[in-house]
Amino acid sequence: MPALQMQMSLSEKLQILSDAAKYDVACTSSGVDRSGGSSGMGNCAAPGICHSFSADGRCISLLKILFTNECIFNCAYCLNNCDSDVRRAAFTPDEVCTLTMEFYRRNYIEGLFLSSGILISPNHTMGLICETIRKLRVVHHFNGYIHVKAIPGADPCLVEQAGFLADRMSVNLELPTADGLRQLAPCKSRGTILKPMRLIQNRISDNKQELIERKGGQSFVPAGQSTQMIVGATPENDYQVMSVAEGLYRKFGLKRVFYSAFVNVNGNPRLPALPGGPPLLREHRLYQVDWLLRYYHFEVSEILSEERPDLNVFLDPKCDWALRHLEFFPVEINKASYQTLLRVPGIGYKSAERIVKARRRDRLSFHDLKKIGVVLKRALYFITCSGKMMYPTKLDENYICENLMRDKTQIPREIREAGYRQISFFDRDLCSDFRLSDAQILPPGQRIAAL
Amino acid sequence: MYVFLCEDSIDGIFTGIYDAWASGYGHANVALSARPLENYALFDEYIPVATSAEKSAKVARTLQARLGAEIYQELCQAASASERHAGKRDAMDKADALYKTVVLALSLKNGRNVLHYLGEPCVSRVFQLSRSAWNETHHLMGFLRFRELKSGLLFAQIRPRHHVLPLLGAHFSDRLPQENFLICDAGRRQALLHPAGQGFFLTDAKDLDLEAADRLSQQEEAYQSLWRGFVQDIVIKERLNTKLQDQNLPQRFRPDMTEFCSYDASTHQKFPDPQ
Repeated sequence: MPALQMQMSLSEKLQILSDAAKYDVACTSSGVDRSGGSSGMGNCAAPGICHSFSADGRCISLLKILFTNECIFNCAYCLNNCDSDVRRAAFTPDEVCTLTMEFYRRNYIEGLFLSSGILISPNHTMGLICETIRKLRVVHHFNGYIHVKAIPGADPCLVEQAGFLADRMSVNLELPTADGLRQLAPCKSRGTILKPMRLIQNRISDNKQELIERKGGQSFVPAGQSTQMIVGATPENDYQVMSVAEGLYRKFGLKRVFYSAFVNVNGNPRLPALPGGPPLLREHRLYQVDWLLRYYHFEVSEILSEERPDLNVFLDPKCDWALRHLEFFPVEINKASYQTLLRVPGIGYKSAERIVKARRRDRLSFHDLKKIGVVLKRALYFITCSGKMMYPTKLDENYICENLMRDKTQIPREIREAGYRQISFFDRDLCSDFRLSDAQILPPGQRIAAL
Repeated sequence: MYVFLCEDSIDGIFTGIYDAWASGYGHANVALSARPLENYALFDEYIPVATSAEKSAKVARTLQARLGAEIYQELCQAASASERHAGKRDAMDKADALYKTVVLALSLKNGRNVLHYLGEPCVSRVFQLSRSAWNETHHLMGFLRFRELKSGLLFAQIRPRHHVLPLLGAHFSDRLPQENFLICDAGRRQALLHPAGQGFFLTDAKDLDLEAADRLSQQEEAYQSLWRGFVQDIVIKERLNTKLQDQNLPQRFRPDMTEFCSYDASTHQKFPDPQ
C-alpha cells in the first residue's frame, strides 16, 4: 500500500469508502431476531430498524462501507473499476471495528454492511473481510447485525468462515443476463457469481438440519442471502428481469432481490446516458412485482410474458392484473378465502389477514375495512360487503381503469414530483382526460372482455 | 350510566377497570373516561377513581395470566398512547375502549384472540391506539441518538407524542446491557435510567441537571462529525429526493438527531443545520 494512503485520516477514509459503497442498495437489517444477553453489545430485531434517511430518501440502517475501493476488476458501471481515476483508500480491520462499535453504541446504526473492491485477489480480499468481522464478533463481542459480501471467485472455505460470523451475505448478480455481464463486467461471469450463491444456499440448508439435530450450534447466515441487479444499463426487459428474480427466489432460496435504477456515475461511453435521470419509476414497479411474488402468491407469468414483456407504468401491477382478470371479481369480503383477498387491489397481506380473523366474529362493513387498513379508493371496484358494493360502480375495464388513473398515488408522489422529464411527461397524460384505448397501454390482443 | 373518571396512565386506567368491575353496576351501565371532562351529561353519575398501584397490579396479573404476555403488551401500548395523536376527536375514549375490550376478552372462550375481532368498535380503537404508540416506539428505536458525556454516561433526549419510555426501555436495555444510559422524555419531564448490568427504571426528570448533558466526552464530537459526514456522503445526488426523506423521517424527530444538528463547541449551543 502506498505510504501516502497510510496517513489518510479516518474521516477521509470514511468519506471515500462510504461514497464508494453507496450504490449498493441493500441496507436492510431484517430477517433475524436475537436478544442481547448480559455481556457484549447488540441485538437484532426481525423487522429491521431504520436509523436515519438520507437526502435521497433511502433508509440508513447499516454502516455501509467498502473495506477498500482498490480494485483489479474493470466493470464498466462501477466507479471503482481499475481504469477509473478516483482516490483510493483502505481501512484496517481495527478501524472498521472501532467505527462500528462507536456508531452502534450511540444508536446511529443497526450494524455493519461490509463490501469491498478486489484488492490483490479475491482470496486476499475475502480474508480481510473475514478477519474484520471475526474481530468484531470475538474481540468486541458485537452482537448486532452484520451483512457482508461474498467476493466472487474467493475460496469456498473463506466464504464459509464469513457465513458463520455474518447475519446476511450477498453476492451481486449485477446484470440480469449473462450477455449483459459479459459486456459490462468482463472480469465476472455468471459462473463465478452463482457458485458462491449456491454454496451459501447449501450451507444454510445443511445448517438448518444441524441445528434441528443438536441445539446450541452456530447458525449460518441466519438472515439469509440477497442479491442486486442493476436495471436500465443493459437492454433487458421487465419480463427477463423478473423471471431471473423468480428463479433466484425459487432455485437459490434468496431472501431478497434488490433492483437498482442505473446511475451513470463515470460517463462510460459503453453505457446509456439516461438524460432523464435514473429509471426510478421502472425500479418502483419492479419492486411492486417483487412484493407480489414474495407476499401475494403471484407468479411472474401471470403478470408478464414474452408478448407483454414490460410493466404498465401508469398502474401498479396488481391493479393492472385485476383489470385484465375481471372474471375473478367482485369478491365478497365476508366469504372469500385469504388467497382470493390477496388478489384484490387495495388489500395488503396484513389487511387480508386481519379481515380473515375479524370476520369470524362480526360481519364486516366498508367502515370496518377502512379501519383495518384497506385502501378503499382502490378496492371499492372489486369488492362487496354482505353482497353490496360501496357505490354503484360498473365492472367494466375502461370504467375502472379511468377511475383508478385519477388516483394520483398510482405513481408515488415522491417519484411524480422528483422533477425528472420522464415523469412530468406522464403527469400530463394523467391530468388529461385519459382513455385506455388511446394510451395503448395494453396490446389489443391482451384485453379481456369485461363481464 | 356510571362514568368512572381515571387518570391518563397505565396504572390509572387499570385501577379504573378494577373499580368499574368491582362496582357491580353491570358492564352495560358503566363507562370509563381518561379525558378531562368537558361537560356533564344530565343523567350520568361521575365517580372519580383514585389511582392505586395495588389494584393496578391485580388487574395486570389477571390480564397476563388469562390473556398472555402478547395481548397484555398490546393493551399496555394502547394505554400509553396519546389520544390526541391517534384517531379523530370523537373516537372512543381510550379508557372505555380498554375496559370494554377487557370485558369482551374475559367473556370469550379463548380471550387470547380478542384483538382479532376488529369488527368490535372497542377492539378496533385499542388496535388503533396500540399501533400508533408502537409505530412511534419503532421509529425512536432507530431515530434516538445517544451522546457520550464526560462521565461516560450515554445520554439521549426525545420528545415523543406517546408515552414510549417504558417500551423503549426494554429494547435498549437488551441492546446495551453493559452501558450506563439515560433517556429523557423532555415533554413529560421523565427519564429512563439504565445502570450497566442491571434493569431499567423510570424516574422524574424535573431535577435533572441538563447542563451536565452538554459536557461531552473527549471523543464525542469526533464521532458526531464522522457520522454527519457519513450521512452526507451516502446520498446519491442523481436520486436527490427530500420529499421522500420528509415522508420517511418526519421533521419532528430531527431537532434531537445528531445528523440534523450542528454542535458548536465554543458556546455549547445546539442549532439546526442549515442543510
